[in-house]
Amino acid sequence: MAKKSVLNEAQDIQLATELIKLGARCQLLESETSLSRERLLTLYKEVKGVSPPKGMLPFSTDWFLTWQPNIHSSIFLNIYRYLVQHAEISGVRAIMKAYQLYLEQIEVKPDEEAVLSLMRAWTLIRFVDNKMLASTACSQCGGNFVIDEYDLNQHYVCGLCHLPSRAGKTNKKSHEADIASQ
Amino acid sequence: MNIDDMLAEIRDANLNYLMLAQQLIRADKAAAIFRLGIDIQIADILESLSNAQVLKLASNNMMLTRFRFDDSAILGMLTNYTKDRALGHSHAAILMAGQSVEELV
Repeated sequence: MAKKSVLNEAQDIQLATELIKLGARCQLLESETSLSRERLLTLYKEVKGVSPPKGMLPFSTDWFLTWQPNIHSSIFLNIYRYLVQHAEISGVRAIMKAYQLYLEQIEVKPDEEAVLSLMRAWTLIRFVDNKMLASTACSQCGGNFVIDEYDLNQHYVCGLCHLPSRAGKTNKKSHEADIASQ
Repeated sequence: MNIDDMLAEIRDANLNYLMLAQQLIRADKAAAIFRLGIDIQIADILESLSNAQVLKLASNNMMLTRFRFDDSAILGMLTNYTKDRALGHSHAAILMAGQSVEELV
C-alpha cells in the first residue's frame, strides 16, 4: 500500500468536497479519490447535511441516445474533449471543469436540475473510454454528437438539424403550456 | 465618428480584452482556455505579460482579436431566432466546442 501522505489527503478532500457540491455520489468519490469509505460518508454528510443516496448507478447507454439527453451529453462531451486536448488537464479534474462549463452553457433555472447530472457525465466518459459509446459528426452541421458505436451512422443527422416532431414536448411541459395559455 | 475616435475605440477594446483575458487565465486557466478559444501557450504568454507590456500591446491601432465564428452555420445559429432560443444556443455550444483553437505555430 502506498505511504499515506497528509498533503495528498488534503488535496483529495478538497477535490471530493467540490465533487459533492456538484452532485457526485459515493461510487464516483471512491473511485476517483484515495479517501476511505468512512471518511467520504462523513464528508458527504458535512457538505450536504444528509446521507448520500444509496442504490445502483444508472448504467444504460440508451439514455444518452434519446433526444434531449443526447444534446446535453454532446455539449458536455465536446467541452470535455476540448479541455483534454487544449488545456492539459485530464481525469476527474477535466470532468469536473467540463461539467462546470456545461452548467454555464445551458443556463439552468434556479429551481430546476440540469438534464445531465455529474454522475451521468462521469458515466458518459467511462462509456466513451470503454468504446460503448462514440461520437460522430452530423452530416449537416458538422458538430460532434454522442452515438452508439454499433448503430448505422453513415449519414448521421443530429437531433438539432432534424428535430423530432414531438421534441421537448413532455407531458409535464405541455401541461404547463396549457396552463399558461388559459 | 472620425478616424481618431475610431482608433481610440480600437485601443480601448484591445486593452479591455487583454485585461479580461489575464483575469480569466489567472482565475482559472482551463476554463479560460475554453472561454477564450486559445491554446495553452498563448494563455501562458498572456498570463505572464506585465502591465506595461499589456499597455504597449493594447496601444496598437489594429484590433488584436479576430472574429471567432468564421463558420456560417454557427453564425446562423447564434443570430437565427426562428428556432427555440435555448436550442439554438445548445447547438452553437456543440459546434463551438468542436472548433479549432487559435494557437501558436
